[in-house]
Amino acid sequence: MLNQKNMTSNDRHEEGMIQLFTNHTGTKMLALTSSFPFFFIGTIRGVLDDYVMVFVETTNVAELENRVWNLHIHDIEVFYLEQEGWPTIPVLGENGGGG
Amino acid sequence: MRRFFHIVAIPIRIVLNQFGDYNPNGMMYVLKENEKKVRKLVRKNPFTPVELVQPLMIRANEGDVLEVLFENKLPFQTGFHLEEADYDVMQSDGTDAGFNTSSLVKKGERKLYRFRLNHAGVYPFSDLGNPASGEKGSNSNGLFGALFVQKRGSWWTHPETGGTINSGPFADIHHPFLPSFREYGWLFHDEMETKDLTGNKPLDLMTGEERESTHAVNFRYEPLGNRKKLIEEGVVCPECEGEEVHHDSWVFGDPATPVLRGYKGDPAVIRVVHSGVKETHVFHYHVHQWLKDPVNQESEIVDAQSISPQSWYDVAPLYGLGSLQGSIGDAIVHCHLYPHFDVGMWGMNRVFDTLQDGSQCYPDGTRIKALKPLPDRPAPPKPTKEKPGFPNFIPGKVGFKAPRPPLGIVGGRGLTELERNAAIENPRPGAVFTDPCGFNPEAPVIEYRISAIELPLIYNRQGWNDPKGRIFVLDDDLESVLSGNKKPEPLVIHTPAGACVRILFTNRLPDVAGGDAFQLFTRTYEAGFHIHFMKFDVLVNDGANVGWNYDSSVLQGQTIQYEYYADVELKAWFYHDHLFAGHHQQHGVFGSGVIHPRFTAFLDSATGEPVIHGTEITAVHPLIPDYRDYSLFVHDFALLYNKDGRPIQPPDYPGSQDDPGVFGVNYTCEPLQFRLNGPADPAYSFSSFVNGDPYTPVFRCYQNDPLRIRLIQGAQEESHSFHIHGMRWKAERPDVETRYESQKHIGISESFTLETLATHDGDYLWSFATEEDIWNGLWGLIRSYGETQQDLIRLPDQPFVNASAEKPSPSLKIPPKADFLNSPAPEGAPLRKFRVAAFHVPVVYSQYGEHDPYAIVFAREEDMGAILRGEQTPEPLILRANAGDEVEISLTSYLTEDRFPFKDGIWPYPEIKEQAYYPPSLRISLHPQLVQYDVKTSSGENAGYNFEQTAGPGETITYRWYVDQPFGASCLWDMADLRNHRSLGTFGTFIAEPRGTESVHPYTLQGEESDSSVVLKHPFLPETREFVLTMFDGARLLNNIGELITDPADGLLDQDQLEEEEDLFDTYDQGSRGFNYRTERLVHRMKNDYQTADLFSSDVHGDPSTPLFEAYAGDPVTIRLTNPSERRRAHTFRIHGHYWNTDAMDLTSQVKSFDGHLITGHAADLKLHYGAGSYYGFSGDYLYRSGNIQWDIELGMWGLFRVYERWQKHLPPLGTKRNADHQL
Repeated sequence: MLNQKNMTSNDRHEEGMIQLFTNHTGTKMLALTSSFPFFFIGTIRGVLDDYVMVFVETTNVAELENRVWNLHIHDIEVFYLEQEGWPTIPVLGENGGGG
Repeated sequence: MRRFFHIVAIPIRIVLNQFGDYNPNGMMYVLKENEKKVRKLVRKNPFTPVELVQPLMIRANEGDVLEVLFENKLPFQTGFHLEEADYDVMQSDGTDAGFNTSSLVKKGERKLYRFRLNHAGVYPFSDLGNPASGEKGSNSNGLFGALFVQKRGSWWTHPETGGTINSGPFADIHHPFLPSFREYGWLFHDEMETKDLTGNKPLDLMTGEERESTHAVNFRYEPLGNRKKLIEEGVVCPECEGEEVHHDSWVFGDPATPVLRGYKGDPAVIRVVHSGVKETHVFHYHVHQWLKDPVNQESEIVDAQSISPQSWYDVAPLYGLGSLQGSIGDAIVHCHLYPHFDVGMWGMNRVFDTLQDGSQCYPDGTRIKALKPLPDRPAPPKPTKEKPGFPNFIPGKVGFKAPRPPLGIVGGRGLTELERNAAIENPRPGAVFTDPCGFNPEAPVIEYRISAIELPLIYNRQGWNDPKGRIFVLDDDLESVLSGNKKPEPLVIHTPAGACVRILFTNRLPDVAGGDAFQLFTRTYEAGFHIHFMKFDVLVNDGANVGWNYDSSVLQGQTIQYEYYADVELKAWFYHDHLFAGHHQQHGVFGSGVIHPRFTAFLDSATGEPVIHGTEITAVHPLIPDYRDYSLFVHDFALLYNKDGRPIQPPDYPGSQDDPGVFGVNYTCEPLQFRLNGPADPAYSFSSFVNGDPYTPVFRCYQNDPLRIRLIQGAQEESHSFHIHGMRWKAERPDVETRYESQKHIGISESFTLETLATHDGDYLWSFATEEDIWNGLWGLIRSYGETQQDLIRLPDQPFVNASAEKPSPSLKIPPKADFLNSPAPEGAPLRKFRVAAFHVPVVYSQYGEHDPYAIVFAREEDMGAILRGEQTPEPLILRANAGDEVEISLTSYLTEDRFPFKDGIWPYPEIKEQAYYPPSLRISLHPQLVQYDVKTSSGENAGYNFEQTAGPGETITYRWYVDQPFGASCLWDMADLRNHRSLGTFGTFIAEPRGTESVHPYTLQGEESDSSVVLKHPFLPETREFVLTMFDGARLLNNIGELITDPADGLLDQDQLEEEEDLFDTYDQGSRGFNYRTERLVHRMKNDYQTADLFSSDVHGDPSTPLFEAYAGDPVTIRLTNPSERRRAHTFRIHGHYWNTDAMDLTSQVKSFDGHLITGHAADLKLHYGAGSYYGFSGDYLYRSGNIQWDIELGMWGLFRVYERWQKHLPPLGTKRNADHQL
């Protein structure tokens, strides 16, 4: 179904996501994607078209950390943006099993 | 595309190794073009292996039509039976089955078979003209081979020349779009007749007795005994003992067995086929891992995998040869069952780093055959004087043991110049030629200091003990373990993924193992720390001594540093010594590491303090659910003594591999013979009220805690069957689409993670459930609490759970009866009630009068009268319910003492080890799998401190189960008395059908719920024929004149076997077998001799006594297959001419035509692709059967699936076909 701006529901959804991530540049994010490496914790650097650029501090695999990832917003299945008054995203560090 | 092969079956002398061991009565399939050549070569080389004398391996593509002109030059009728293919069963089955026309071929005659190859994979072939076990059978003598079916569009070349290849075990496979890969055919086989060079049966050099039966690969085996002779005669390595150099090419040169050659990084597939007749082997391949199901990317990762007779799988090592880290050198490939490994069932994968053009030599002067690089991969560099490549930079000395690795041994040597040239940029101890941790320079380094020590181990409260226990222990715990302050347990170290692991391993074992009733004096003077799963440099880090590698073990008192990397979360990685494993692994030389998700922390479950090791810990994680982590190690060949120093189950002579000793789990056992306190009733053997908690692990958790159970087999030769009553898990943990299961077959070195939870508070029984295992103490508990315990921390992310409403007091002397049953189902679930009776009734097993006069059956209460009057034939109980149903079972015992054959409970046959007084229980129970229930009341056994769950004579016990999923087939069995009931038939099958299913009788189409053959009707699903096959073994039957039948002995087609071999039968081979309380032993069908080849013919003998299943071509068919019986010998199940998804719940699972390693508690749903008659819908008689030639088929484990072309009066067609105009 098209709205007055001739946008489909999917278009509006995507536009909303782009706007949200744009508004949260500089915010810490946790995101899950359906493709490898599935899981990211990092800080939003900005949005380019429908990609969100994230400086990723933590993923499943250490070799893929500490670099900017461009995540296709469509591929993000679940995300959480750390905001004041909300629970903080845990800081995950190598612990050697010691906690 | 049509492919044609002219294949001849010929008699041939098979020389199995360079020592001249041979099979004088060998048989093989050979291409006609090679027939004369091979005969000539064998005549010219009677004492050495001839390359062409190998099982025939041929290739074709998916979608091809295969034509085989088969010519028989053997003195009996033979055939060419091809598995996995589609074909006309009348023309091309390679059998004479049922009312089919025979597709066997007489001596000197030919026949054309035609097949369609509809899926890629292995299509094994073998003979069924002569299905006898023993040395006169065709399969044990070599009449088998394999067709490798490639992806459509593939072609193949010779790995040495790059030219064409028509047959052979090795080829390079190419494809227009896909990467080329190395293909290696690896055909395990066993029980082949073998003579030594003198024409006598080979002797074991250690014992002077006959050598273990032959376990081979591709008609080759390389026994330790032969190689040891060269040591004893002073030809090589005079200071060596034997086992530690068994695989050492520096000492002996390369073995006769396959060496799979490739370059670092080459994609490869090993086609692993079990062409043998008897044993379930475990294929293990050092350095590499693979997906259990190669077509399913979510499949479980394994590096050791069981394989039962007449089954197969592909091993496609992840990351190609050398794995992720690009390790070069020799990775041994072997059957992990030590007696088999010891007798020669091993080979190697050789990974080169330089180009081999045929001009190079191994250190012993043997020419290295050329090896063409794969065309789509860069060629490796040519060898130079400075960089000669593996193995020529290793400073070894031919005829002597492999050198020790550089850098690794504390206080050891540095690098030679050639080694430095071959080394990585920053060589260090444990990482010299490959850098396992190089991917992640930031990886945290975690160091463990571990020693191997000897100490006495106490296995139970009765004082069973191993005075020469040998275990791994953290150096920090040495004092507390040796002083007795800490109970020894298998060492389990815990590590988060992404870590670089360093092990400083010290060998503190005595360098001499003295002789005793079990074993002979052996110099176990060196030991290593060989690991599975992790990434490492095989040359210096294997903890083994293989091929042209270094010997990466250390002498007594020495320490060596190893380095490994865990790139991702893994399950438990197994470790053990690899130098004298055959001698001492069964004393406890095994352990594991668990690679948890990154960022996991490990806590002591009692105190909450951080820990790094333990078989029971708590794992907490900031993001994913916290869990309890338990490790269980089962082992057989436990060489124990009782408290008075009497050896328990010693072998006939020391050093024998004929199943010495008993069993252990985490170095403990809790035999049932000691659990007859209180009323002395076996029904309370698992009850903690009556007998206290077991000495074996009692793991602890709170209700709803997630559990990860790490299941490993530490030693030594046998299959085991793990169960947790009341819990279930996904069959392959990473893949949520796989089916649920609550049973797991395991062989040595296999590792499984079972992810589950305790849905209720109460005691959950875990067990290794074959009769002999559980009798001898392989069971324990998981105790789930509903209220806070002082010495058990809560999982931080789990909500508090209230205590259950009713809980019996532990001070009671006998389990109390529950006042009421909690419903496990959601409100409003339909309640389906079954009244089940357990009673004595003689059961006739065959048309030849084989019967069990003492049988106990479960039946619907309403059928009991008709069964007792002989108006209804008993079958193993079948209960069907639909998903969403709640089921109420009311079980009544009608058992009486006078109907049991052995009042003391000591069954003379079938035997188990450590027979002891165990009187028959008159109580009975019914234990289910996969359904949901409150374990305190409805599990069907009196475990721990749960309520009474058995029914005494005249009593009725009620259970409530919730069928939350249409999970298909599962087993039912009695748990009140495993010893006195199971052999008599106290088992059945429970089937969870999809919601809305109605089952009707196939003849009347009227209501029928308990028959083994029904039609399933459903509003949305196609009408389907459902056939239930309840496989059983371990039955004790009498013949038609009341004499005891002692199978396998009485059922052998070739009775000469009995004279040739003493102690032919293990305890777990004993007993009669078949399907659904029926058997069709072939001895009754043998007229003059078994080579007349009509043993399966209904024209000659009539239909068999086993269930005859009927369908029309194209009818949808589901086979519900269960094995709720008792013996430890695993079986394979096959149906000719049909195939199905290996996991009925997972449409992406691989398609195959067998179901493997069936053992106690196994259940499977076989949904036949294309329905009855498969792809072409051919009518005829299709054999269903065991894949074990030795000793299942001849003992009656087979039957017929009859597919009609024309309508039969008695069998109404299905669904829409009923309304069509049929010709009756």
